[in-house]
Amino acid sequence: MSALEEQFVTEARELILQATDNLIALERDGGPERVDSVFRAFHTLKGSAGVVELPAMSIMLHAAEDLLDSVRHGTHGAGAEIVDAALACLDQVSRWVDNFEAAGALPSRAGEDGRAMAERLRSLLPGRTGEQSVLPAPDRLKEGGRGALPEWVSHLIAAERDAMTSRMPDGPMLATAISYEPLAGCFYNGDDPLQLMQQLPDLLAFHIEPREPFVPLADIDPYTCNLRLRAISAANRDEIASIFRLVPDQIQIFGVPPEALPAAAKHITPSELSLVQKVIEAQCELLRVPGRTDGLAGCVGAAARVAENALRHGRHLHLADTVGRAGALALAQHDAGPLLSALEATLAAFASFPSTMVPDGDGRPNTTATSERPTDRVLRVSEAKIEALVNLTGELVVARNALSYSIRQFDKDLGREVARSIQRDRDAIDRLVTELHSTVLQLRMVPVAQLFGSFPRLVRDVARQLHKKVELVTHGETAEVDKTIMDRLFEPMVHLVRNAVDHGVEDPEQRRAAGKSEAATISIAASRSGDRLLVEVTDDGRGIDPAVVRRTASEKLILSPEELTALTDEEVVDLVFAAGFSTASSVSDISGRGIGMDVVRTAIEQIGGRVSLESKVGIGTTVRLDLPTTIAMSRIMVVEAGGQSFGIAMDSVSETVRVKPDRVSTIKNNDGFVFRDRVVPIISLAELMNLPGHKRDAAQSRLLVVMETAGRSAAFEIDAIRDRLDVVLKPMQGLLAGARGYAGTTLLGNGQVLLVLDVKEILP
Amino acid sequence: MTVRRSDTGTVILDGVCAVEDAEPLLQMLQATPAAVVDWTQCRQLHTAVLQIIMASGVDPIEPCGDTWVRQWLASKLPLKQVG
Repeated sequence: MSALEEQFVTEARELILQATDNLIALERDGGPERVDSVFRAFHTLKGSAGVVELPAMSIMLHAAEDLLDSVRHGTHGAGAEIVDAALACLDQVSRWVDNFEAAGALPSRAGEDGRAMAERLRSLLPGRTGEQSVLPAPDRLKEGGRGALPEWVSHLIAAERDAMTSRMPDGPMLATAISYEPLAGCFYNGDDPLQLMQQLPDLLAFHIEPREPFVPLADIDPYTCNLRLRAISAANRDEIASIFRLVPDQIQIFGVPPEALPAAAKHITPSELSLVQKVIEAQCELLRVPGRTDGLAGCVGAAARVAENALRHGRHLHLADTVGRAGALALAQHDAGPLLSALEATLAAFASFPSTMVPDGDGRPNTTATSERPTDRVLRVSEAKIEALVNLTGELVVARNALSYSIRQFDKDLGREVARSIQRDRDAIDRLVTELHSTVLQLRMVPVAQLFGSFPRLVRDVARQLHKKVELVTHGETAEVDKTIMDRLFEPMVHLVRNAVDHGVEDPEQRRAAGKSEAATISIAASRSGDRLLVEVTDDGRGIDPAVVRRTASEKLILSPEELTALTDEEVVDLVFAAGFSTASSVSDISGRGIGMDVVRTAIEQIGGRVSLESKVGIGTTVRLDLPTTIAMSRIMVVEAGGQSFGIAMDSVSETVRVKPDRVSTIKNNDGFVFRDRVVPIISLAELMNLPGHKRDAAQSRLLVVMETAGRSAAFEIDAIRDRLDVVLKPMQGLLAGARGYAGTTLLGNGQVLLVLDVKEILP
Repeated sequence: MTVRRSDTGTVILDGVCAVEDAEPLLQMLQATPAAVVDWTQCRQLHTAVLQIIMASGVDPIEPCGDTWVRQWLASKLPLKQVG
């Protein structure tokens, strides 16, 4: 992709976002400056689409621009219908931008889809009739629909009947008619219409005529095209559309039904299809025999001939040609590969045919299939490169830690003086590494505005679907967070926002009855607090009723009645995060889909965040997400138990304490102690990890790490605390990938591999 | 030259006739509208050149060297019946 095209992709995405935001704002408050900025965004988009030569996109955007222009000039207001259509148009552009980025081109159907969208947009223009349209008049016929076949097609078929019959021995199943009217100035664009026509596969009939009667030779301009080219081909519509993809505005494509063709149409029966298929499969098997060198040429030649004949018999003429060419190539290269892959592609094409398939296709893979890969929005450097930098810097941090270790060793074994001088050097490196590391991490930081950008649209669509009125307010869009976190935050956020509209916000009538304004407000606010990012989703809806939650929790047997009565109202509300809990009595298609708040909590915890919820009946609900801003680095505490070192993530450690034996009480077999008015169970880490625990002096105080995770607290009894480190956590790999209870590993300064515990997982 | 006039006055299209051949062809045909056009040596014909042949109403010497043109439209020339 050229730099220009890359820039187009980035810019288009920004413009789509901008236009979407403004369209939604326009619908809400209808200010004239909104119309202007929406119009400008569409206009710029259209211009850029022209620059990178995507005519299908230009046609569609041109129609949208006309529609918005009429809104701008007050011809009519920006009704929901117009906003819907404009948003749909942006959706299409957005999909095409993805296609363009992935494949460097629009899908082959783009021309037709673009025109269909343009039609839809133009149909919203009252008082606009055909002659004002930029499209050629016949285009407004129901394109491709039966009965809409233009007269010229039957004339051409009648004129060419004999020739056509001879070109299709048994008659093709379905043909396609193309009318191509090149622009008058097309020669200046380097177009050669005849050349395009020559690319049409399986041509059955062709006709060329002047559009306007030719003027006398003396007055003729040799560089003005005054021709109309028409053809009928047995190739399918998509294939033809892809040949003419650069001039979608100049062609019309019509499906010609079998009955309109001279020879009686005959469908290939599924059994015939499968016979052809079997023959090809057999050739594939033959070609797959490895290590064949002698007689390879004969084998390839025979396989190609057999497959080609079978395809011709099945009247897959185009596929037969493709296989024939691949066979010749294979022979020339002394390698069965090209033929084999052509045959496999043919089989794949067969597999995608419906059972009563009309064999009009070719074997080429569909170019519209694009992978669903995540797209960069603001990072213009490839993520892989950043990732490599982050990893390298991470290694540097480890090396620095190693240096610290060496210095300590030095300190012990050799003189203080030397150690101190190395220490000074280390401090300098330390400062640089820390700075470098934080700068590298900054590269991955993106403003949450990118995440928030998709919510106005979501809220609008969901609210419209539910006939609710909702206004979305966002704050703190400039707060930055690691790109990975933002990507992983998207789904839970979508769920929270949908939930707020669906379950939180009441119907307009209910709101009126409750003395609230009809339009509800949902606010999404982000703020940085140290190295944490706080995101709050607040609605002013009905709130969560603890009584309802209690009832549901007991019905769904989430907690026993005794446990439920012991809980305060706030704790009860927190139960909506319990697995299998859903307050809605019926699963709606908005928030349903089997995703509960428990999934939100899990997703947030996976990225090292916490979710909490606060709700007041009748006033509203706030869901609070407390997130790390980076996940590349973790702060861990190195502890020793049973003669081994382990890492514990600092964000689950709430305190480390030494307790005297008299504060520890034993309940049944378990030790526990009272800590900040709560009973905290004590677990021996050595025992938990099946390591030999050392004999404890009964009078000795015990060293405990108090941890809090998922609302539970527990204390690990350990032998010693070694260190506090910033480390790059590497996930468990290879044989250990499936090991549970570990969050990952990291390298210590002395080269030792440290296992970092997944506290949540191992707490009994 | 891909478009040239022979000693006998025949207009000869030779090899690959590109878009820029339309103008000299037009000038030759304007000068001698009744000239014979020979396109048997023309391997590839640009639309603009074909348009001049169509507009002038000449009936070139067959067969056309461009096989596609020969197959699909040579038999239909001259086209100029109307206008």
